[in-house]
Amino acid sequence: MEGGFLSKCMGGEESNRMTVNKKIRQFFLPSLTPKFLIRVCLVALIAYLFFGYLCIPFMIQGISMEPTYHNGGVNFCWRLRYFFSEPERGDVVAVRFAGSKVMLLKRVVAQEGEQVEFRDGKLFVDDKEMKEPYVRYPCNWNLPPRRVEKDCVYVMGDNRSMPIENHHFGQTSKSRIMGTPLW
Amino acid sequence: MVKIKYLLAGVLIVIIGILAAVIFFPNEEKRVKKQFNLLSEWVSKSPDENTFMMLQRIKNIGTLFDEYCELKAPDQSLSGSYRREEISTYAGSARSYFSQLDLKFYDFHIVFPEKEISKVTLTARLTGRSTTGEQVDETRELECVLKKIEKKWLFSAIEIVEVLKK
Repeated sequence: MEGGFLSKCMGGEESNRMTVNKKIRQFFLPSLTPKFLIRVCLVALIAYLFFGYLCIPFMIQGISMEPTYHNGGVNFCWRLRYFFSEPERGDVVAVRFAGSKVMLLKRVVAQEGEQVEFRDGKLFVDDKEMKEPYVRYPCNWNLPPRRVEKDCVYVMGDNRSMPIENHHFGQTSKSRIMGTPLW
Repeated sequence: MVKIKYLLAGVLIVIIGILAAVIFFPNEEKRVKKQFNLLSEWVSKSPDENTFMMLQRIKNIGTLFDEYCELKAPDQSLSGSYRREEISTYAGSARSYFSQLDLKFYDFHIVFPEKEISKVTLTARLTGRSTTGEQVDETRELECVLKKIEKKWLFSAIEIVEVLKK
C-alpha cells in the first residue's frame, strides 16, 4: 500500500516534470501553428513601425553635446514630442539631414524672431545674457548679432570648448526637427 | 497535403522570379544609386592604397561626371561650372590630404522631373583621418542632378544644402 502510494507520488512528480519540460520546450521552440505565425508577423510589424517611425533608435557619435550626451551613447528619438507643440528654448532636438539615418543632436537656444549673439563666450538672446547650466566648458566665442528667421530655431551644442568655426550650429527650419531624445 | 506542397512551390517560384527580375533588370532608380555607390567606392581611401590604385580611382571618378558639372559648395569655396578633368584633379588633390577616407551616402530621395534627368537629395558622410593624424567627420545634405547620357547617369550638378545657417 505504502509502496503503491509512493509509486503513484513518483508518477505524479514525473508527469509534472514532463509538463514543465514540455512548456519550456514550447516556449523556446514553439510549434509553427498559423496562430503563432500571425502573432510573430504582428509583433514584427508593430516593432518595425514603432522603432522605424515613432521611436527611432540612434547612437551618438561626436562630442558636440558633451557633457549632457556622451560619445557612443544610445538613445531613442521620440517623434511625437512636437506633434502638438513647438520646440522651446532649452529643448534638445534631433535635426535631420535628408532623412532620419543621420541626424544632429543640438539644443534650441533661440526661437523665431529672437536675436542671437555671442560676447566673450556668453550667449545673449535679445540682448539678455542667458543662463546655461548645461554648458560646462568655457569658451571665448564672439558672434555678431543675427535674427532668427520665421519658422526657424537657432540650435547649438552644449560643448563649446572648440573654436567657433569647428562647431556645427546655427539656424535651422522647424520642419527639420525630427523629435527629441527620450532621456 | 499535396495541395499545400504545390502552393508552397508556386509561392517559392514567384518569389525567386521577382528577385531575379529585380537583380537582373534594375530600374532607373537602382542605376542612379549605383553611380553613388561607385563614387563612394572611388573616393574612399584605405591606408594601404598604392599609387597605381590611386591613379586608377582618380581617373574613374572623372568618368562619373558630365563634361561640365555645376558645383555649389560655398563652405569649400567651390562654386561654378567645372570640367570633368578639373573635378578629377580636385578629387585627387583632396584625397592626398587624407591617409584614410570613407564616403557613405544615406537617405536617398530620387525623383525624375524629366525623362533623362534625375534629381537626388541625400545625406553624405565623410569620415577618415588626415595625413597629420587629425580625425575627420563631416556630414552634409546634397542635392544632385544626374543626366542620362549614352545610357549612363552622369553627375551634372552637386549642391550642398545649408542645414544650419550660422
